[in-house]
Amino acid sequence: MSSDVTDEGVAIPHTTPTERATTVTISSQFSPQMPGVTMSPLGAMFCSRCNEEFEPHEKIVNSNGELWHPQCFVCAQCFRPFPEGIFYEFEGRKYCEHDFQVLFAPCCGRCGEFVIGRVIKAMNANWHAKCFRCDMCDKELADLGFIRHQNRALCHECNTKAKAAGTGRYVCHKCHGLVDGKPLRFRGEVYHPYHFNCTACGTELDSNAREVRNRPGYSANDLNELYCLRCHDKMGIPICGACRRPIEERVVTALGKHWHVEHFVCAKCEKPFLGHRHYEKKGLAYCETHYHQLFGNLCFVCNQVIGGDVFTALNKAWCVHHFACSVCDQKMNQKTKFFEVDLKPVCKRCYEHFPSELRRRLRKAHELPAK
Amino acid sequence: MSKAKKVLDEAKEIGNPELDLMDKGISAFEEMPGLLNMINITRLTLSHNKLHTIPPSLANLTNLEILNFANNQIEELPTSLSSMPKLRILNLSINRLNSLPRGFGAFPALEVLDLTYNNLNESSLPGNFFMIETLRALYLGDNDFEFLPPEVGNLKNLQILVLRENDLIDIPKEIGELQRIREIHLQGNRLTMLPPELATLDMVSSKSVLKLENNPWVTPIADQLQIGVSHVLDYIRTETYRYLYNRHISSRGAPPPKTIDKSKKASRLPRRQQS
Repeated sequence: MSSDVTDEGVAIPHTTPTERATTVTISSQFSPQMPGVTMSPLGAMFCSRCNEEFEPHEKIVNSNGELWHPQCFVCAQCFRPFPEGIFYEFEGRKYCEHDFQVLFAPCCGRCGEFVIGRVIKAMNANWHAKCFRCDMCDKELADLGFIRHQNRALCHECNTKAKAAGTGRYVCHKCHGLVDGKPLRFRGEVYHPYHFNCTACGTELDSNAREVRNRPGYSANDLNELYCLRCHDKMGIPICGACRRPIEERVVTALGKHWHVEHFVCAKCEKPFLGHRHYEKKGLAYCETHYHQLFGNLCFVCNQVIGGDVFTALNKAWCVHHFACSVCDQKMNQKTKFFEVDLKPVCKRCYEHFPSELRRRLRKAHELPAK
Repeated sequence: MSKAKKVLDEAKEIGNPELDLMDKGISAFEEMPGLLNMINITRLTLSHNKLHTIPPSLANLTNLEILNFANNQIEELPTSLSSMPKLRILNLSINRLNSLPRGFGAFPALEVLDLTYNNLNESSLPGNFFMIETLRALYLGDNDFEFLPPEVGNLKNLQILVLRENDLIDIPKEIGELQRIREIHLQGNRLTMLPPELATLDMVSSKSVLKLENNPWVTPIADQLQIGVSHVLDYIRTETYRYLYNRHISSRGAPPPKTIDKSKKASRLPRRQQS
């Protein structure tokens, strides 16, 4: 043992990627000032590099039992001392960190820096573990494994998605498998319907299942629940007569159906009524303008839009209080019997006042087969 | 007190703006004292009376909107009538009018004019008759028109045109300009052909009425009319028909004879023969 040699080296705890430069080395420096050191005969020791003997009192570097002149203990490439005593050994030669990396360390395929420590060899390149990530979601792939998809490294999840996108199919948000057939949409994601059961009856769901908002009017969907179509229908959620979708917000009830506010529109101009007055005719609703335009419900007497009830007869319409005999102006009601003359109403009394010659002709005209 | 006077007094008392005086045996305005001072009335109904004249001062009732003289014996109208500012409905049906006064077309607000069953024809209309732009219904049935003046096309708001049982030989092509028309009554005339322009109007919708019966139509029109009015309109739209119609216009033969005997019309009988 040489007590004048003191271990000062530092263990460098990293491994090189390919195990090619694996030596963990301790560098030592001779300290002549150290007292109480038993000197071994110097004549028995030679420098590992130059094979010369050491001078007495000369500094000796001891590294793993090999001895060196300090000027001989240098990088095999740049012949300079090792910075901070750290060196790398490869095929029996020692290199400083810089030269070792330049000569032997792999470059990262992403950042271009040397890879020290763990090297990921993949996709025909080397990578830092932190640099080898999924091309779609940027997740680190070193420990997850990856799949090569059209020359991109993807995590398993993204690979399924990418494959699905290629085929136009959905990926289940739960099992990440491809969804054959119609997916179930729930809380903004798509799923295999069979992952869920009806909230009411517990039956396994199919794609006809309905998502029901628990708090109507709120946009947050995390309280939404799923029901099978049967249970959903039994819950009495109104269905819009126009779009056939459930109405979860304001409901308009008209024409014996329910409507989304914005789907209850004029049959002619298709503008929503939005609470304005609408007019019904033969199962259709119209705005005031188009109702009167189409059905001419202007009173024959006052020529105004008929506000209340309407008398319709003889290709004309009347306000209730304007429906009168055209000859004597006496009001008539729905029970009054009247004659038709030139498509005008004539009460029985007035008709009997008509010249008999005219009545005869009118009667004859009415007896003709109507065309 | 006459029945008419009683009605007038009642109306004055309660301020009723609508006066009903039909079938009161009234033969002159003198039998309705104070009527011409009832400035507020909006309707005056004098149907089934025996009036033969209307005093010009009636026009002083400037609030009148509805004036009804149906079934009287009126032969002449005052010129002033057409100046009534609010008059919307004027009923002169079943009277003895042989002509209308000069300037009759000056009505500022007239919408419905009923002249059914009089003795009017194209030459008894004043020059401005078809200037009543507000008119939406014109009833001329049971009169003596042989031709309808082409100026009828000026009545832009006309929705109803009745010419039933006149002596019409032809309809002017200007009828095609009546864009708002939805009722045309032409039955019982002497028509053989229709102007193709008629087919440009929407006369087949559920709200339209076109009456064509009892005319001596040319065979193709008569045949189509058997099937329906819409078929007549389809037919008169064809090139074949246009050609036939133009030839008919340029080489018009003698019109068909009158078929209706109007000698018994009440409008023809002289007043003195009435009881």
